Amino acid sequence: MSITQETLQKHLKDPAILCCRRDKGTVISAADLEDPGLFDDMQEAGLLTLSPDGLRIEQVIGRTLLQDTEALTSITKDVLDSVNKTEDDNASAPAESKAEISEVAVSAAPVFSSSAARTGGDGMIHIEIGKAEKFEGLKLDVPVISGGAAPAAQAVQTSQALEEKHGEKKVIRRLLKKHIKITDVKLGSKTSIKDGVITIDKSIVNKAVKEDELCKSLELEVIYPDKRHIYTETIMDVCPIATKVEGEIGEGITKVADGVVFMLTGVDEDGVQVHEFGSSEGYLDEKMYFGHPGCADKDDIIIRCHAVIKRLSGMTRPGPFAAHKCQDYIIQAVRDQLKEYNGEVVREEVCEDVRRSGNPRVVLVKEIMGQGAMHDNVLCPTEPCGILGGQKNVDCGNVPIMLTPNQVRDGSIHALTCIGPATKEMTRHYIREPLVEGLAADTELDLIGVVFVGSPQVNDEKLWVSERLGSMLESLDLDGIIITTEGFGNNHIDFIQHIGQAGKRGIPVVGVSFCAYQGQLVVGNEYAKAMVEENMDAGGFENDIAGCSCVTVEVAARAIQMLKNVMSGVEIKPAEKKWSNDVINTNNKLLGLPETKLVESGTLH
Amino acid sequence: MKLTTKQGMQSEIFVPVTPKPVFTELKKPLNKCKVAFITAGGIHKKDQTPFNTSGDFSYRTIPFDTPSDQLMVTHGGFDNSDINKDVNAMFPIDRLHELVKEGFIGSLPAETYTFMGGGGNVEKFLNETGPEIAKKLKAQDVDIVLCTGGCGTCHRSATIVTRCCEEAGMSCCVIAALPPIARQQGAPRITAPHVPIGSNAGEPHNIPQQTAIIKESLEWVRDCPSFNATKILPYEYRHNV
Repeated sequence: MSITQETLQKHLKDPAILCCRRDKGTVISAADLEDPGLFDDMQEAGLLTLSPDGLRIEQVIGRTLLQDTEALTSITKDVLDSVNKTEDDNASAPAESKAEISEVAVSAAPVFSSSAARTGGDGMIHIEIGKAEKFEGLKLDVPVISGGAAPAAQAVQTSQALEEKHGEKKVIRRLLKKHIKITDVKLGSKTSIKDGVITIDKSIVNKAVKEDELCKSLELEVIYPDKRHIYTETIMDVCPIATKVEGEIGEGITKVADGVVFMLTGVDEDGVQVHEFGSSEGYLDEKMYFGHPGCADKDDIIIRCHAVIKRLSGMTRPGPFAAHKCQDYIIQAVRDQLKEYNGEVVREEVCEDVRRSGNPRVVLVKEIMGQGAMHDNVLCPTEPCGILGGQKNVDCGNVPIMLTPNQVRDGSIHALTCIGPATKEMTRHYIREPLVEGLAADTELDLIGVVFVGSPQVNDEKLWVSERLGSMLESLDLDGIIITTEGFGNNHIDFIQHIGQAGKRGIPVVGVSFCAYQGQLVVGNEYAKAMVEENMDAGGFENDIAGCSCVTVEVAARAIQMLKNVMSGVEIKPAEKKWSNDVINTNNKLLGLPETKLVESGTLH
Repeated sequence: MKLTTKQGMQSEIFVPVTPKPVFTELKKPLNKCKVAFITAGGIHKKDQTPFNTSGDFSYRTIPFDTPSDQLMVTHGGFDNSDINKDVNAMFPIDRLHELVKEGFIGSLPAETYTFMGGGGNVEKFLNETGPEIAKKLKAQDVDIVLCTGGCGTCHRSATIVTRCCEEAGMSCCVIAALPPIARQQGAPRITAPHVPIGSNAGEPHNIPQQTAIIKESLEWVRDCPSFNATKILPYEYRHNV
């Protein structure tokens, strides 16, 4: 396989290897050389051994072979008429910095061109870089260049901005979350909350089931923390009970029931699990990662709402939605009681949307499932974590939608995605998303917002949606981006595209995903260089423990630190070729985080 | 304000490069070729053991004279409703028989092999399932292998098995709903109709479209100039989920 001129230019410093046998007298060109990008695989396959005497591509281009030479062997000086003289790797410092200076000058011009009118006169822009890596005290006069140029000078711009401003905090809006103590849940004859005890009218299931004709029956059951060794059908969601008592979502006051969550489970009329692809039926104590953001906590009482939906509707869009909708009818009855209930407040949580001007501008991009069937999310419902009033992201065309950190923390996302339960984010995940909380609290950063972008089913649409995201990111004038995805496989196409959209605009980017063994990336690009792994399964599989491998506090801490490193030009070492939990734990150790302990799920697909 | 940095962090996820080229040039006219069709889309006979939808590297043997109404899908990685309507949307067995009658292709082998590639175990597909399927097809003197896959990891498994077939000396093409995956995983040839995952071989019951997708994929097996080249097919179908 010969290479193109473009590839050749990229690999001038790489070893020169003939792609095919070439005769004496051949003048070496790109058409005669093998692609250095393949060398690793070829060496691994035993096809290629690089000779220490081998020349680099820049040394052989245009030279003539003095003898017939075999494919896949290093070109050495004894087979050539002569060797091109090039700047040695240890070239003198001035030559190197000269090249870099010209790069800065060209790319910096458009960035500063707005000031040309003020400083102008001679058609030159005067750039002075006070302090930046390698360019201390550098002064440049650059002609004004009109027309577009790559925004590659952002690093320079940022480091200046950082020194000028101090990240002054300005609060845009406040949200108060009052966590109300709940000590018991009973099924009775009237829905109420009294003295910390939620009572749910047993007969409410008969009304709730009428909310959607695809839902055939509903059943409620209270599961206490010490009685979790109980069989459960597949877990479709874990949903907190939260309600607005003042203001819209993202501001005002929200009450959250503490110590209790709803858990939706479901099968169809034939007993087929709604999530037959990687479902989580089994003993509840073994099928949920208690304490993870999307899951029930260790001491939570779980109200199990079990739905039976119409035959064969499990793998279609309306079926699973019906179960969520009917459960929400029941939760709403409890929310209505919670609004009026003035019981013990365990914790008051103040959430703020803030601007920290002068700090690096960052966004969090969360790619969510949008392929249809049960891969959907309801965005921005009227009640926290609710259904009513919200829009489904599939219906919105999966386009990127910006939310404020407070809106996310106030339950703007109701997740319908818990298939392949280990790597999906359930409704409870979003109301306490560790990356949202970590970035919002970080006084060194300015979290502009949280972008939700769906992952469509059709490849063309994936690319289309990613283009829209790219334009949005560009318009936000960002210094850094963290992109997460849930699940693995087809959604990694969009995930990698999104990273590319940031990367090609010169915006530092960190990717966060479950990949490990089973979810190895199926696509890649050169911008995906700072990546954080979510896996917590010993075999690296997507196991059937709900909420096992997703964004945790530790994952969030590593991602935020990696982003800061990338934004500051501090190296992130390249990943090893195969997934290794040791790499993750080395990072944990560097950051003083607890060790990532893997779960022996025994999953071996 | 200066950002706090930490020296020594390492990226935790490997980002792949496309594997080494495999390419078997087709040396016969299409109407003399024996054409097999494999799929990672979870198709099997109704009387066979269904696939384990959370991950399964086993395969099913499908005699090519199986009536299409005796086939079904067991795959949880995508919306199955199109295949439930018409199995030819993923595994176009009826169209292949028509192409033999029409004389567009020479013949079909006695049997073919199907698997469920969702969440597929890479090593198992690479070292066991792939080589076995390739060996069995080669033993039936198959010249061309077409392949479809459903979800994202399905396309990976589909491509791995297709590469095994190509290495065994057959000329192969992945009909991809997710061409970037097929390309990145190193499919020898790729055709890409504009279809959702689950209907790679065309809209259910749309016989002209299904026929055209297979014919043009076969022509691409004949005409594709080099490893890993993709041909976008001008057929569009949107599945309203």
